[in-house]
Parts: sequence; structure tokens; C-alpha cells
Amino acid sequence: MKPARFEFVRARSLGEVATILRQASGSAKVIAGGQSLGPMLNLRLVRPSILVDITPIPELTRIEEDADGLVIGACITTSDIEDGRVRVDGLPILATVAAGIAYRAVRNRGTIGGSICHADPAGDWSPVLCALGAECIVTDGRQARRLPLEQFVASAFEVRLEAAELLQAIRIPRPSRSARCAYYKVCRKAGEFALASGAVLLDRERERFRAVIGATQGRPIVIDDARRLLGAVPQPGTPARLHEGATNELLQGAGLPLNGRLHATALARAAAQAMA
Amino acid sequence: MREARASAQGIGARLGRKEDDRLLRGRGQFVADIQLPAMKDVAFLRSPVAHARIRGISIPPAQRSSTFTAADLVGVRPIRAVSGLRGFKVSEQPPLATDKLRHVGELAAMCVGPTRAHAEDLAASVTLDLEELPAVYDMLEARKSSTVLVHEHWGDNVFLETFIDVDISKAFDAPIKVSREIRTARQCMAPIEGRGVVAFWDTRLEQLTVYSACQMPHIVRTGLSECLGLEEGQVRIIAPDVGGGFGYKGILLPEEICLGWLAMHCGHPVRWIEDRREHLIAGANCREHHYRITAYAERDGRLRGIDCEAAVDSGAYSSYPFSACLEAAQVASILPGPYDFPAYRCRTFSVATNKCPILPYRGVARTGVCFALELVLDAIAREAGIEPHEVRERNLVRPEQMPFDNITNKHFDSGDYPQSVRRAVAAIDLADIRNRQKRAQPHARLVGLGLATYCEQAAHGTSVYYGWGIPMVPGYEQASARLTPDGGLELRVGVHSHGQGLETTLAQVAHEILGIDIGRIKVVLGDTAVTPYSTGTWGSRSMVMAGGAVAAACREIAKRAAIIGARLLQTEPAQLSVRAGQVFGPQGAVSLAEIARAWYLRPQDLPDDVDPRGLETTIGYKPGRDSGTFSYATHAAMVAVDPETGEVEILRYVIVEDGGKLVNPMIVDGQIYGGFAQGVGTALYEEMPFDRSGQPLASTLADYLLPAATEVPALVIDHMETLAPYTEFGVKGIGEGGAIAPPAAIANAVNDALRPLGVELLVSPITPQRIVAAIGTARAFAKPGAD
Amino acid sequence: MQSVQLTVNGVSTLESVEPRLNLADLLRERLGLTGTHLRCEQGACGACTLLIDGQPARSCITYAVLCEGAQITTIEGLEDDPVMVALRRAFTAEHGLQCGFCTPGMLITARDIVTRLPDADERRIRLELSGNLCRCTGYVGIVRAVRRVLEEHRAGHFVVAPSERRKLGPVGSGHAGLAAGDMPVSMAVPMGGDTPGTYGEVKLGLAGKKPNIEIRQSFVIARPQTRELR
Repeated sequence: MKPARFEFVRARSLGEVATILRQASGSAKVIAGGQSLGPMLNLRLVRPSILVDITPIPELTRIEEDADGLVIGACITTSDIEDGRVRVDGLPILATVAAGIAYRAVRNRGTIGGSICHADPAGDWSPVLCALGAECIVTDGRQARRLPLEQFVASAFEVRLEAAELLQAIRIPRPSRSARCAYYKVCRKAGEFALASGAVLLDRERERFRAVIGATQGRPIVIDDARRLLGAVPQPGTPARLHEGATNELLQGAGLPLNGRLHATALARAAAQAMA
Repeated sequence: MREARASAQGIGARLGRKEDDRLLRGRGQFVADIQLPAMKDVAFLRSPVAHARIRGISIPPAQRSSTFTAADLVGVRPIRAVSGLRGFKVSEQPPLATDKLRHVGELAAMCVGPTRAHAEDLAASVTLDLEELPAVYDMLEARKSSTVLVHEHWGDNVFLETFIDVDISKAFDAPIKVSREIRTARQCMAPIEGRGVVAFWDTRLEQLTVYSACQMPHIVRTGLSECLGLEEGQVRIIAPDVGGGFGYKGILLPEEICLGWLAMHCGHPVRWIEDRREHLIAGANCREHHYRITAYAERDGRLRGIDCEAAVDSGAYSSYPFSACLEAAQVASILPGPYDFPAYRCRTFSVATNKCPILPYRGVARTGVCFALELVLDAIAREAGIEPHEVRERNLVRPEQMPFDNITNKHFDSGDYPQSVRRAVAAIDLADIRNRQKRAQPHARLVGLGLATYCEQAAHGTSVYYGWGIPMVPGYEQASARLTPDGGLELRVGVHSHGQGLETTLAQVAHEILGIDIGRIKVVLGDTAVTPYSTGTWGSRSMVMAGGAVAAACREIAKRAAIIGARLLQTEPAQLSVRAGQVFGPQGAVSLAEIARAWYLRPQDLPDDVDPRGLETTIGYKPGRDSGTFSYATHAAMVAVDPETGEVEILRYVIVEDGGKLVNPMIVDGQIYGGFAQGVGTALYEEMPFDRSGQPLASTLADYLLPAATEVPALVIDHMETLAPYTEFGVKGIGEGGAIAPPAAIANAVNDALRPLGVELLVSPITPQRIVAAIGTARAFAKPGAD
Repeated sequence: MQSVQLTVNGVSTLESVEPRLNLADLLRERLGLTGTHLRCEQGACGACTLLIDGQPARSCITYAVLCEGAQITTIEGLEDDPVMVALRRAFTAEHGLQCGFCTPGMLITARDIVTRLPDADERRIRLELSGNLCRCTGYVGIVRAVRRVLEEHRAGHFVVAPSERRKLGPVGSGHAGLAAGDMPVSMAVPMGGDTPGTYGEVKLGLAGKKPNIEIRQSFVIARPQTRELR
């Protein structure tokens, strides 16, 4: 399983990437860790004429923190987050999720930006980051725009990037100190993609109760107000009961013909963890 | 049969393996590690569809000299693996497809390039003009169809039908009758190393030399020379270090024929290394069975009879040498398992479908048979209101009946089958599990217990195989032994290791006889030029057969050494004994090294009655009776099932096994652990599904799930050791057992756990989706209208 | 073709490669380091695992050009590493290998567990090993071997320098942050074969960009008679 031929270019600035992407008119692909793109290249599922290495670009491994949130450069790896080289004060869920992605050798090169742009519907980052209300910072080399992650992900394996655009960073708003974020995935093997997943953010201080159904075979389904599904914000210790019918409605409403049973369970368990 | 006393390096020693050193340093030599000057890489164009007529193959002119199709392979014969069983239909598998494509992944063309990537580029430029045909993708449908045919000249899609009836009508009036329809999924064997071939024409030796990751070099030599129209003397097969086989590498491959032809045609070495996608999509599959089984029993669970109709999805072609019928025909003969009952009927079908051919995978039909039978036994236990172990203890062949000829004339040699059940039940702590089932478990999980008992026929020989009429009938197994001039020992055998540690264990056998230090014993395997003929390593035969042959050869060496030793010690050979690397007489000893020196370097010191055949010998061996050894085991599993997610966790697992005399208990345990892991894969994870157009759907390891360290639990092994009556040292074949019972034990445990919900699963693998769906169905059935 | 400079097992090497050549193939086919095995080419099975800049990574989905300037350590390069010596002893004692094909990758991961997670319990060991598939052993001997070495490590049988890892981003990437013309002309020490001869043409200049100056060098290296590669 060897890839089709491609040329290789190393880009050193955001402007340089954008120029190359523009000139290639859609036949270029950016590569950072290559943990998602590599298998697809090897299987000849994608055949770009040029591969652009974006790891030298300094902005992409930059971390910025302020009182409101955290901005993580797209080329930060899963193991950078897992090991705590990226400080994630107030967002310990990030390190937990990171540690459950694939395997250590893959985490040492796989990037958070790469994972999000690959947009495997069963991936771990999207549901959790959607629950946290994360935003994508997208650049065309000249200027940047921001959009919520759940809008950035268009469908399975598809994100909303124009021809010459690049995901530069993810901005994660910091919830209040007492907020709880939980993620539950049903998967058959350690490290594998999820069969069904649920992510919940419960921020009582700011009255935010957000839920996300993941592994939908399409985009993650964001429920901005999870009280619709789970009832009024329950007291700690009350088991969460999620109506399978309501979950099915949501899935079907999003055009996803799945039996919602497993997804209902995943979400209920995430909610239970958040409320514990 | 000889008793063997434990020694530090002989039979029974937990010796560290000699193979380890090179493998741990990354200095093994697997086929993909072989580099030859001017070697080029080969990529195949494989069929994208399951069933089609080939109208044409278009090759861009620029690559005409590096791209080949069937039209180029003039004089090359197709693979024909015929069984002599009455009614067997013959399939011909051309190495490159001629007029028709019969499975996704079938070879259509091959390209040669400086690297694999380049060869794949060339293959991608070749186009196939196909007339697609409906695919035969389901064996039950295939049996009924006479219009959509895999092999048109057959008239139907059945390789072979077998039938046996022993008084089944006598069972019909039994008070308990349990009927089930049971299905096991198609699997890929997935050794971590796939197939691979490096071939070149050796101009000095004037022979085609083929390095191949295979389990049976001599059989491949025979098959390859037949297909290429060469004398066997013109073909040499070398199996180097082989990274796992489990049956997958016991086949003559069309790729081997293609590379052999290319090596002769191109005049330079050529290489093909199977990649993971080729393995999953086009490499041989295994295990897909279907059973309609009815068991008849008395009220106390004693069996009156078993009645079964079974089908095996054999794929598109009969693979060489085992043939397409082996697995289904084996179903009929081993379905009775280790049990004693008076009536039996079984009809089997080997069905042809538009899938790649099947091969026997570790355990062969036994895994499916054990699954079907053991699930039904638990169903009988439930109907009779008794514990699962009671139904087994009531029906297992008892030790006082041994040796026992069962209802299909299998000759069980020795053992205490009921004792294995009793010990397993004690070890798993049945009482504790039953108590737990009465109480709510953490996280609302349900716990259950499952058992499975089996016996495993191994190393069966001529008397069993000749009746099948397949291209291979094992006979005498040969081993060569020779003392080197410095007193070391070289052994040459035709079996081949793919992880079993034969370089160590066969040396242990030799050490047992001659007492030479293991470090001075060299075991040579894998090269047809320097090893005696053998049908190879499969069917857990290597220790019984090659071990027996090594023992015989070493005894012969000992005898001849004693003659020389007698002269050097000035005594009679009858006064001498050989051990610890020396020949001992009443008044002294002389080392085998000195004896070797006399033969090789100082013939003037030899006695007149020296055996002129010297200190080198090749001897054939067969056990006293070649109907096979029967190792056996009971597996007991305790599981916890999450009814909301369908996840299954194995909390406890016990194996009580009896493999006769264990040559290297550490290696035996390793075989059981490894087989068990594969059994867990079969039980819970592994499945190659096909869609209606015959497309295999699990084309990557993200879809075809192999158990990792987190999926294989720790387990307990308890050994019983009942010597085999007919073999050297009382050894029995054991390599496959671990993979036979886990699907049955785990399924029984899951069903036991889900019994309060009215769920009984009858398929493997038991996936979370199947559990959740079954619970949903049972709930809907039980309470109409509820969600 | 592209030029890539790597330090492999401590020896600098300069190779001319197609961008699509993965690191495993470069090591196996060009440098004769066949201890790293290739199988799934998807990053799933772990047989290809080796160390890039001291950290485990998959060489099957890492194209060589992405590792410009990186330190690569294969199983052959860990011959005398004290942790690896202990692991080899433990794997043999606990029967942690059968066919040996998954073993080099398994050992790299095992070494990472011992050095990075000295307090790992069995559950953690199994989790960390889950990215290395073995079809032969059922993992029993492997887990026992890792536990044994962890105990030896905790008892101070060998000293492991803690790895100071501060750099962010994919391991192996980011070394090539040099401007045009700064490409090092390292002494290319050949790693395989016995035949002397022209090593090859080395083309300098920034990948993909048109350089101002193109320097071609070709030189003959007298290869040493014996090469201890591993």
C-alpha cells in the first residue's frame, strides 16, 4: 500500500501555505503529523499532487491563554496535551480525552488540528470541544476568521475550509471553576474510534447545560440546552435518564438513520459523570 | 511409549528459547528482509468485483514489458486441489484470471517495478473491461441457486455434500428436544506478518529458488513444480523466519506461481510482499459456518442423539493442498465432540461462493463445531433444569472407557474428560458466580458463567487422510541427525516454525536421548534443499511427528556411537549407555565428541564392525497408531455484560487442559495463551462481512478488529497430564486447543448472564450491537407497547 | 526526488528519496535496518514502531521527508541500552515472543512504558501496549516481562536518564527550520553494502523552491570492510 506520487514542500509561514494552496487549485494537501492523512495516502484514497509540511510554522504550535479561554495551535499534538506540556487549567477533560485517543506512538505525532480537519465522525476531539463551545480560527494567510466548531465540521470527513484556507488554532472558552465536563465513548477496543459517544458540559454558574452526540456517522449533534433531553438540571447523584425516542428524533432530524439506543446510553453516561 | 524424566534441558524443561536472541535484536530474517541484487518489486492488479466476465485487459503500451496477464503465462497450469471423496467438484484456479473473476481481490494482472510504489503505479494504469455478474455472497442462498453459478460447468454451487446417519431415528422419541440455528462469521487469520515471496532463478544450481513465508515448504515445492511444469529438482523453497501462520500460510499461492514464472521470465529476482489490505480483502478467509442442529436428550440431560445440517462457505476455489471440502467434511466427523451418545446424523455442504478461498484456521472445524454443540448443551441444561457442568459430566466419555471409539470412529486415546470439567468448575468458583447473579452488580451489569469442553485430534496420519484423496497424505515423518566432527549435533526436519519454538523443543528431544548440551544442537528447518520431505507444520503435528522422528534418529546415532565407543572403551556395546553427551561403560566413559573425531578424523581407530552409515542418519517415524492424539480441555468463562452498551468484559477465565507429556511447558502455555487470544477475537471482535455485491467490508484494521492487550484478559491454566499411548514420550499435539473453546465458553457465559432478559445469542462474534439489538427485541417481545 | 538528512542510530545519513517513501522503507531498503517491520501501513498494528527524537512513533505513516534533521533510533540502535538489555532478558524468561515479528515494535513501546511510566500497574501496562498487536502470545508473557522490568527499574537495577521533552508539535518535525543555503553538508556515512563506489549526487537547496545556487557534489567513499550496523 504505497501512495501515488506527490511533490513535497515545506512551508514556513501562513502566507506561504496559502499561496501554495491557492496555486495548486485544490490538488494540494497540508500535512502535519500525518497520522490521519498517512493511511489515506497509503491506501490511495487521496492523491494530492503536492503535500505541504506546515510543522515549521511557528503560529501553529503557539499556545495563548487569557482569562476567558485557551487558544491551542493546530499543530499541537495529542501527547503534548496528554503530558501537560500544554497547560489546560480549568480544562482537565482535554488531557483525559487526549490519553484515550489511539495509541501513544500515534499521539506523539497526531495533531489536534489534523484530527479536527480529518473530521472522522467517530473521532474524540469534536464532540468534547463542541460541548465546550470551542471555536475554530481559520486563516487564509492574510486574515483570520472564527466560527464555532460545530459549524466548521460540515459532515463526515468534510470541513468548511476554502481552497486557500488553513485551520490555525482552536479557541476553547474556559468554563467557570465549578463546571464539569464529561465524555463517554462506547467503543469495542481501547483507543479505537467510538461506536457512539456523548459529551456534556454542565456549568451551573453560567446556567449552561450543553450536550453533544458524537459518532453519528455525520456531524456531531449539538444540543445547546440539554435540559430538553435530560430534564431540568438534575441534582448531583440522580441518575440521568435519556429518552431513546428523543435521541432518535435528533438523529433522524439530522438525516442520520441510526438506531439511537447506544447514543442515548453514551450521552446519559456522560451526563451522569458530569453530574456526579 | 517411554516415560521421560525431567532434566534441565530435556523433555519437560521450561527452557528459554534459542530463537529469542536474534528476534529480540531485530536480527530475524523474514521474507521481506531479504535483499537480493537487482531485485524488483511486484504489485498485482486485483479484481475490484466479486463476479465478472473479463472482456479485456488494457495495458498502456509504455508498460507492456513490465505488465503481465494470463495470456503471458503460457504453459502454466491452474491450481487444482481435488478430493477423492465421492461427488467432489473440481475447481481450477488460474494464477492470473483468464476469462472470469470469481472473488474480490482475485489476481488479474501483475506489474514489475523498481519499487513497490512504482509497481503499484503501473498496476493503477491497467484497466479491466468487465461484464459484472450477480455475486454469490451468501452460502445458504448459494446452495439453493442453480442459475447464478461460481463455476458454470458444475450445475450448482456445492463443492461437496457429505452424509452420515447412525440410527438417528432411535432418538426421535426423546423427552427433551432442542433445536437451534447457529452461525459463525467469516474471519481473516491475520498473522502479524503476511505472505511474501522472493523468487529468482539460480543459474549455478539451475533451479528456481523461492523464499516464501510458508508452513509447508515441501508441499509448496510439489505444487509449484506441477503448475510451472518443472521437475521438483528444479525447484527449491526456503521458508525463512515466518511471522505467524495459524494455517494462513499452509497453501500454494497463485502469487507464488506468478513470482516463480516472473523470476524465470525476467531473469532477475522479484519480490511480492502482501500488504494488510491484500490480506484482509484477498487473502484466504476461514471459519464461516452455519448449523441447523437438534439435540435429543433424556430428562436428566443424557444425550440420545444429535441431528445436524451444516454448511461451510468455502469461497470460490479449492485451495491446495487441503482442498475446499476438508472443513465441512470434518464438521461431520467431529461434531460429536468428546461425548458419548448412541445416535447421530449429519449432512454437510461445502458451498462455493464469490469470496476468496478458505483455509483451515487454528482449530479448523473444531471451533465452529464446539460453538454449535456447546451452545446446544447449555440449552439442554436449561431445559433439564441442571447446571451446565452436570450435562457435560453426564455425557463425556469416561476415563474407564479409554481408549474409546466414538460414533464417528474417532479413536480417543487417553484422558479424563470429566475431571477437566470438575477442575474447571472448581477453579472458576461456580458457587460465587451463582451467588453474584442473585445480587445486583455494580453499574447494573449482569454476570454469567459459560463452559465448553472439547477434544482435539492432532497429528493424525495416513490412515485418516488417505480416504480424503486430497493432494497431500502425511506418512512417515522424517528427521535427519548427524554428529559434527566436534561433537555437536545437527538436526534437519521438514516441519517449520512460525512461532512454536521448534528450534528449541526439538533440541530438547535430542538432548533427552543424547544428553548433548542444547547450545550445541542446531535445528535446521525450512529449506527443501537440506531438509527431509514433510507435509509441514499444521494440525498440531510437529512435536508428535517430527519430535518422534528426531527421537528415532538420535537413538540410531546413539546405537552407532556405542559401537565406536565400545571399541574405544574396550568393551561390548551392550554394556554401554549414552547420556549427558557421553557413552558410559563399566569402566569409563568417552564423549560423543571423541567418538565423532574417531569417525571423521581418525578412522584408523574405528572397530571392524563399525556401521558404515556413520554418524549421520535420516529416519522415518509414525506413532504406534496413526489415528491421531487427542488432547482435550474444559474452558470456563465468567463475564460481565453491560446490557445498555452491550460491552462484554471477561472477569475470569480458566483453562484445564491435558496435552499429554509437555516437552516445554512454557512454550505449551504460550500456545494456549495465544490460541485463547485468537478465540477471544473469534468470540467478540473478528468478522469479515460481505455486502450483496460480494464486497468484503472490513478492509482495514479499523474495521477488522484484532484483540490487543486490553481485550485479552489474564487467565489461569491448570494442566492435567495423561500420557498418549502411541507416541514418543507420551506427547500429544496441543497448538490449536486454545483457539477452539473460547467462542463457545464466552457465548455460553453471555447467554447465562442475559438469561433473565430472555436473550440467547447464537452467532459469533458477539458484538455490542448484537447484544443490544437482542435485548431490545426480547423486551419488545415480552412487553408489547413498551419502549 | 528530495534530499533528507537523518541521524539514524547515531550516524548521520543523507539520502535522496521520493517524498512518498516512508521512514520504515528508507531504513529497511536503503540502510539495511530490517529490524523495524512493516505490516499494516495504517498506524494500527504497531510493528513499525521506533523512536523519533527519542519518542515512539509509527514509521509506516511517517514519510521520511517529514523527519528532516531528526534523530531516529531503531531496535538495532538500542542494542546496549540498559532498559532494552533488561527487556530482552525478561522477554525470554517470560516467553514474551513466539514468531518475533511484532517484537521490535513491542520492545520500543515496552521501553517507553518503563522509562515514562515507572509506576504503571498491570492495567496501565495493557493500555499502553494496546497499540502493538501480537497474534501469537496472547500478551501474557509480554505483560509479565514489562512488569518484571518495571520492578527492576523501581529497585534501581539500572538508571534511566529522564527524557527532557519540551518541544511542541509532531516528534521528528520542525528541525528543518533553516533558511535556504543553510542545509548541512554532513559527511554521508553509508550504512549498507560492501561495494565501494560513487555514493551519489547530492543536490542542495530548499525543497520545492528554486534555489539561487545549485551545488552538485559527487564523491567516492571507501567503505569500511566490516560495518557493525546494529
